[in-house]
Amino acid sequence: MALYGGARDVSMFRRVNRELMGNIISQEVIFYKYNVTTTKTNMYGESVEGRNFADPIILFALVELGSPESPTSDLGVDFTWPITFRFLKDDLLSPTLDFNVSMSFGSNLNPLPGNYGANIQPAVGDVIQYQNGYWEVDNTYDTQYFTGKNPSFPNNDGNGNNPINPGLDQFGYSVEVRCDCHYVPSDRLNIIKSRM
Amino acid sequence: MANIPIWPGSSSFAQVSSSYYGSPSVWPPPTPFGFYDDDSQFQTDANKVANFCALRLGYPIENVELQDINFWAGFEEAVTIYGNELYAYQLRDNYLSLEGASDRIDVNNSVFTPTMATIVRLSQQYGEEAGAGGNVDWLKGRLTLVPGQQTYDLAAWAEEQGIVGGIEIKNVFYQPPPAINQLYSTALMTGQGGLGGVPPAGIYGFGYGYANYLMMPTSFTMQNIQAIEMQNTVTLSNYTFNVINNILSVFPIPGTGFAGADLDGGEDLYYGEFLIFDFIKIQDRIDAAFAEGTNKIVNVGNAPYVNPVYSNISSIGRSWIFEYTLAKAKEVLGLVRNKYSTIPIPGAEVTLNGNELVSSAATEKEALITRLREYFDSTSRQALLERRAAESVARVQEINQVPMTIFIG
Repeated sequence: MALYGGARDVSMFRRVNRELMGNIISQEVIFYKYNVTTTKTNMYGESVEGRNFADPIILFALVELGSPESPTSDLGVDFTWPITFRFLKDDLLSPTLDFNVSMSFGSNLNPLPGNYGANIQPAVGDVIQYQNGYWEVDNTYDTQYFTGKNPSFPNNDGNGNNPINPGLDQFGYSVEVRCDCHYVPSDRLNIIKSRM
Repeated sequence: MANIPIWPGSSSFAQVSSSYYGSPSVWPPPTPFGFYDDDSQFQTDANKVANFCALRLGYPIENVELQDINFWAGFEEAVTIYGNELYAYQLRDNYLSLEGASDRIDVNNSVFTPTMATIVRLSQQYGEEAGAGGNVDWLKGRLTLVPGQQTYDLAAWAEEQGIVGGIEIKNVFYQPPPAINQLYSTALMTGQGGLGGVPPAGIYGFGYGYANYLMMPTSFTMQNIQAIEMQNTVTLSNYTFNVINNILSVFPIPGTGFAGADLDGGEDLYYGEFLIFDFIKIQDRIDAAFAEGTNKIVNVGNAPYVNPVYSNISSIGRSWIFEYTLAKAKEVLGLVRNKYSTIPIPGAEVTLNGNELVSSAATEKEALITRLREYFDSTSRQALLERRAAESVARVQEINQVPMTIFIG
């Protein structure tokens, strides 16, 4: 039976993460979710008239900016600029989850309205704006687990019980969603900066 | 997944308290033990001290991963520790007056006037040994002397008397007859008998035991008595004894000298046939160490001190309590942050300051306890009397500096 890494511990980790990413590091990015349903495609599955995106969402992230390079090929000079965005996974989940309803509490410890829970699933093709640049998501990973356990996979049987470790959904923590991206010139996107 | 609230910036002790003590009771209680929950000033200060601690721990610049009940628990503990330290010192100052008193008295609110009761009781053991009072009965023993027998087994005697646990001899009355007895002779009916008889001779001066004798001037009598004593010392055996391993040996050996008058019809032992001695039963001495202690203060553990009344604590004490609460809060926060050596963040780990908080809190608590004890030490009865004595000396020295005016009339 699991003993460590329980929900109370994870609650504290979440607060530390949000304090660290929100109040101390405070790196913000703008997430553009690729809208599949409104994007028109041709017979080859390629978008026509450009890609459509959902409304942008501001998120805290840890940004690892790679070195820009300009490789030369037969087609001429190219430009690459890799980047990795790391999101706190809980920030991307539903806003109705208890830990996203509020991270603030009133004097009687009743929750106050909060601002967490983007309710998005990063995927290949999404675009993330960091400062004045745009990066398109190449790959996503969510494989960082505290105590090696992902509470989303409690290994329950058909009756909803794990015979060896009951309540395993209350242990462990899936910490991050990592997005490895490549630089995309803004003229290739249907995103136009209209105001400073 | 759980979402545990942390310090939101303020607290309401009254609300939590009324919820818990109301019906139905709503968990959690405001404090773990509830010692001071109904004290209005404690209720007021609980919110203030929680805010004080949170601000000192970095709120609102950074999160403080504690709840109001954590602060209140530390507050309650600080008050209790303050009371414990205070009453421990008071108990130390007054225990000699408290021991043996009723355990129902309100010692928290008593003004102590020291008494000698316990000192006298402690001194009884010396009185018992000195034969002047004490709490062990001295008993008289009577040993039948046997002519020619020098040693007597006291253990066997005690056993014959049914005494269990042994005896301890205090006095043995084995002495030569007083010189006065040798001054007056039974054989001479009138006049003085000179130096009279001597015990071995069995002739005790003159007039001894009879109604008629010649009274001489006291100075004459004194001289004669001194002469007889000197003669006995120089010429006769010294009456003495010793007790070794329960065997009493007497000197001289009874009834082995010159037989004198047989005054009582028995075999002559000079005078008297019994050896009288004082003794105590050893078990009596052991039993004397114990007295019935039901409903009495018998040790520092059952002295009826109770937790202090918070509203009666002065600002000096409250200031200490606030600081100690802060140290406790810091310790708990350190333990919370220190459960795991590192905290996972996306793609990395961070180490929080739990270790620093815990060690800092331990140092602060120790310093606060030391400060409080030094304060109590300096206000103990002994310290106050010493200070008063020093003041008195200093005052006299200062007065001595005043010039003395000489009046010439």
